[in-house]
Amino acid sequence: MSFESDLLAILPRLRRFAASLSRDRADGDDLCQAAVEKALRARDQWQAGTRLDNWMYRIMRNLWIDEGRSRQRAARTFAPEEAGEHVGHAGDRDVEAHMMLGDVDRAMNALPDEQREAIALVLVEGLSYKEAADVLGIPMGTLTSRLVRGRGALLELLGEAA
Amino acid sequence: MTNIDEAMLIAWVDGELDEVTRRRVNRAVADDPALAARLEMHRRLRHRLSDHYAPIVSEPVPSAMEAPLRESAKVVTMPQPGGSRWRNWGMSGAIAASLLLGVAVGQWTNRADGPVLVRDGAMLAGGQLKSALDTQLASAQDGASIRIGLSFRRKEGGWCRSFDGDVVAGVACREGEGWRIQQLLPGGDERAAYRQAASGDPRIMATVDALIAGDPADARQEAAARAGGWR
Repeated sequence: MSFESDLLAILPRLRRFAASLSRDRADGDDLCQAAVEKALRARDQWQAGTRLDNWMYRIMRNLWIDEGRSRQRAARTFAPEEAGEHVGHAGDRDVEAHMMLGDVDRAMNALPDEQREAIALVLVEGLSYKEAADVLGIPMGTLTSRLVRGRGALLELLGEAA
Repeated sequence: MTNIDEAMLIAWVDGELDEVTRRRVNRAVADDPALAARLEMHRRLRHRLSDHYAPIVSEPVPSAMEAPLRESAKVVTMPQPGGSRWRNWGMSGAIAASLLLGVAVGQWTNRADGPVLVRDGAMLAGGQLKSALDTQLASAQDGASIRIGLSFRRKEGGWCRSFDGDVVAGVACREGEGWRIQQLLPGGDERAAYRQAASGDPRIMATVDALIAGDPADARQEAAARAGGWR
């Protein structure tokens, strides 16, 4: 199996991870595309025999964090009322993707980045705590406390808190 | 008040507790309806999240996303002149096998209940084969028409299982909610002349060897993997 065919095989999962991190599906696909391109450029850094999926999760997550810094800058620049207008100027694809957001998407969007990525890796991608902590480069204790806080917030947002 | 905290309930749901702690939580939950409700709430949340995003995995990937990979694969995997004879031998063997199988697979793929479905250019397990891969444990399968050989984790992550039935044998790996077939050989009946144990076929063993990370799952690990939906 080549690097490319292995990557093709996990592409559907990477796309799911990108969607769970991103604001909407269109942004998710852009992120996934960027991660694939980055992986092809950086393929020499991947060690054969190690987990390609976890390596890809790491690449994607780092791209998303970098993007997030500019995202936050943009959020500060646009006032909320202007944001509505801003959506109007976006391509049809973006508007459509944004309108299709469900409750879960909205709740995930409301989480702080560090909780969202932990929730995405463990609850959506099904990684073990050790794998997720490894992808995020944080200690297990930090991961578990983010999972506890992120879940508490999701339960509130989804109206499922007991 | 018990000494079971939120992190412990969550770790229970995530399958991260060791056996002793897990039993402790089970006992506490049995005695405390409020605690049981919290555990159930966390279990529901996990399902809601994973169910919400699960359909993405079965969607076709946009071709623009695959294109750079297909392009790159073409450049890198050009056959080298004077390549090893082993490789050529293996290649023609594979082509012969796929020609033979093509005829048989063609007959099944029109049937939704057949063992093999073709979706987006990939072979997926269907019908009885899919349900055997989903549910059957290698340690308990007396009289089953499809037998599971080995369950194992592969190097790039995820579960794979070898199987042997009357019609088809081979290896499949979990992808999303389905099983993508990595290797397909004629099943037991058609190999009757040299019938051997399911996982003993050298061609299947070679595939397992190429994919496997570490050791195959034992009965306990296999049962745990099934309980976790082979994620």
